[in-house]
Amino acid sequence: MRRASFRRHGSFRGGIDLPEETHRTLHAPIRPAPPLECLRISLVPGGRSPAELIVSPGSRVSAGQCIARASDETGVDIFAPCSARLGETTTCPAADRDGFVEQAVVELTELPESQQIRTLTPVFDWRAATREELLARLLQGQLVTFTRRVQPLAQWVRRAMDRRCSTLLCNGMEHEPYVTSTHSLLKYHGPEIARGLAILAGAMGIDDVSLAVDARYQDDYQDIVAPTQTYGIEGYSLPSKYPISAENVLIMVLTGREVPVNGSPMDLSVAVVDPATCFAVYRWVACDQRCTHRVVTVSGPRIDDPGNYWVPFGADCHELLGNGEQPLIHGGPMVGKRIVDRSVVNASTDALLAIDAPIPHVPTPCIRCGWCTDHCPARLNVAALNDAFELGDVAYADRAGAMACVECGLCSYVCPARLALSQRVRRLKRNLFFLRHRAAMDKGGK
Amino acid sequence: MSEATSTGTQARPLAGARPRFHLIFSPFLYAPESVRTVFTVTFATCCLPLVAGLVLFGWRAAVVAAISIASCVLTEKLFFKVVRAPALVGRSHAWLTGLLLGLTLPADVPWYVPLVAAAFATTLGKAIFGGVGHFLWQPALVGRLAVTVIFPALLTGADGPILARNQLVRGDIRQVQAVQRLRDWPDQLPPAGYDGFVVEKPQQTLRLLYDSQRPRFSGIAYVGDGLERPEPPLLSRLPSVRRMMYGVRPGPMGGTCAVLILVAGVYLMYRNYVKPHLPLSFLLAAAVVAAIAPIHLVGHDGATRTVWYPFLYEGLAEGCVFLIYHLTSGGMLLAAFLLATEMTSRPVTRGGQVIFGLLGGALAMVLRICTRVPVPVFMAVLAVNTLTPLIDALWRPRVMGQSWLARFRLG
Repeated sequence: MRRASFRRHGSFRGGIDLPEETHRTLHAPIRPAPPLECLRISLVPGGRSPAELIVSPGSRVSAGQCIARASDETGVDIFAPCSARLGETTTCPAADRDGFVEQAVVELTELPESQQIRTLTPVFDWRAATREELLARLLQGQLVTFTRRVQPLAQWVRRAMDRRCSTLLCNGMEHEPYVTSTHSLLKYHGPEIARGLAILAGAMGIDDVSLAVDARYQDDYQDIVAPTQTYGIEGYSLPSKYPISAENVLIMVLTGREVPVNGSPMDLSVAVVDPATCFAVYRWVACDQRCTHRVVTVSGPRIDDPGNYWVPFGADCHELLGNGEQPLIHGGPMVGKRIVDRSVVNASTDALLAIDAPIPHVPTPCIRCGWCTDHCPARLNVAALNDAFELGDVAYADRAGAMACVECGLCSYVCPARLALSQRVRRLKRNLFFLRHRAAMDKGGK
Repeated sequence: MSEATSTGTQARPLAGARPRFHLIFSPFLYAPESVRTVFTVTFATCCLPLVAGLVLFGWRAAVVAAISIASCVLTEKLFFKVVRAPALVGRSHAWLTGLLLGLTLPADVPWYVPLVAAAFATTLGKAIFGGVGHFLWQPALVGRLAVTVIFPALLTGADGPILARNQLVRGDIRQVQAVQRLRDWPDQLPPAGYDGFVVEKPQQTLRLLYDSQRPRFSGIAYVGDGLERPEPPLLSRLPSVRRMMYGVRPGPMGGTCAVLILVAGVYLMYRNYVKPHLPLSFLLAAAVVAAIAPIHLVGHDGATRTVWYPFLYEGLAEGCVFLIYHLTSGGMLLAAFLLATEMTSRPVTRGGQVIFGLLGGALAMVLRICTRVPVPVFMAVLAVNTLTPLIDALWRPRVMGQSWLARFRLG
């Protein structure tokens, strides 16, 4: 009998096949994190103002205990990942979309041994629950999204429902070299992810649900096939070409529709979620487990013991990576950031890498080879945008569609002149966004 | 993954604390190709046509190429020393420019011609624009144009030398004897003391077809129809197609051997330094213009006959042969594959390159047919190089998520 599998799907124009380098962690099981000295848990995961501590410093807290309450709607409650002693409130850098931001954190010390990730027994019959019950329970969860910009899940769900999203896409593609956290989660906890996705869809009242996975590894994901069929989730297997897991590109490949230049996926009534979020949703809604850990790939050529670790939020990046001589990177090597001192793991940390330092090249003038333009998934003329950057011509960049950039870093990767093209386009985008924001403010003021 | 826009929920630092952004940017991996590799590999590839030139035109070809490369490198060095600006990747590109310039020159020119050409190529063609990455015209062709204007007697003749078959490589290309036809090249040997012949350039023979005042031919090929005609056919005055492919004919020393130019071009396409769109559209446009432009023939009664669509006049086979002569003569392949594809002076996008190629090929053919411009193909490339910024500004690929109309908004 032919094995049930995912539906094959096409690709997109542009992009590139990157060297994978994932062999060291690809089939490694998810292991408990190495012993940690202390945790510095952010009090502002995606929020605006820090959550307020409800436990006095110096007292002991137990695993899953609430240690801080959100001060407004945009924040989430903070829970202790394990039993520990509560320390001082300080600040430390945590990853945000563009870099590291100093955030208020609370220290936890006297940690027990790290936990193994466990398959939990369900305590809540989510299949019998009505939509309202599911939604209410989901919103109680104080979960966050596991995307590059961490935000409260409740906020994301509300926005998606306000925009009347009719399609829910689970982005199980992973395309950056070295990174295997999503892959290992899908491989070892696939059914739970499918259930989490079904819960999310049920709570948001969405019928059209798809799960996109990497075609190369679909044999590893056989456990997911049966649950997806049970819950009416359409499974797709996509060819891996960088950057297919960028939201806009994934939507273009799967639905054939393109996200407008200044819009978001929700303008097409598509909501994109990632497997880690679905996993957290399932663990909270069905098993009553708070979201305090995530899977992090620790890898790189200089790492002796690479693997996929089940790491509590707030773990120190340097403690996980060991020595700190080579550049340490937070996230994948294409879109990640250099780790700074004292930075901690948060929901956006999919990988911590120690890779060889790229040889510092002096950028030479653009020779207009056009490779950036050939490979750009958004079909931008990056050479022209580079001219716009050098001339400071933001208006031209706007007309050339700079806002469509998906920030995948491919242009910098292929550039033979070693120009920081992706960084330059990113700055143009930020400038444009700022100018537009200010114009809107001026208009509102009058 | 990326969010499309950041809305008002951006994480802000603690109230009162000064935001400290640590911006050290990604990606942390790079593709292995650098600018220097690009120029070095292109240089090595362009040595292939030079090898053909060396074989067919003898050791003087190597001398011309060496002078041209050396003086390009030295002029570049001197220029940046005088203006005290850092020449970033100048040297590898100067090597390439010198080689390309050598390829466009005939092998029998005196030593000062490549020297002057290199000086013009480097200063006027490249350095005053700001060096690599900034120039408008292909520098090698700027040098070629300059010497064509300065030394017209040496470079604009209708005839050119070619070595005899027993003098290949070792012969001196300037010891040549005048002979009219090249059809019997393998059978003929020059008298003692001579190393080769002076023969008519194929593109000059082809140009005679378009002379409406005094037509020289009564047809393109007309094989075996037994009719008496007042004039010979065109092909009787041209070398055979095989010899056109091997490059046994006078011309720029790197522009005659079609086979090696094609090999070099295909390798550059394989390396993705050249997209196939540009050379193919260049050749396509040239072929289309050659196929439809009217030729003038002598009829049976001796009167001039004007024939439109020469491609179809004597049948498809003869038409194709006619096109092959047009496409392989006069440095057309050299221009299409190696000169027009110079990265800086071509448009960036695929569509732009197609437009560029179509314009260039058509203009090259029009210049050859309608004017007396000395090297029409090279001049056409220079002319369309001028349009490159315009093409780049007008032709924009449709950006993801943009409407079909947005790309036509002029910048």
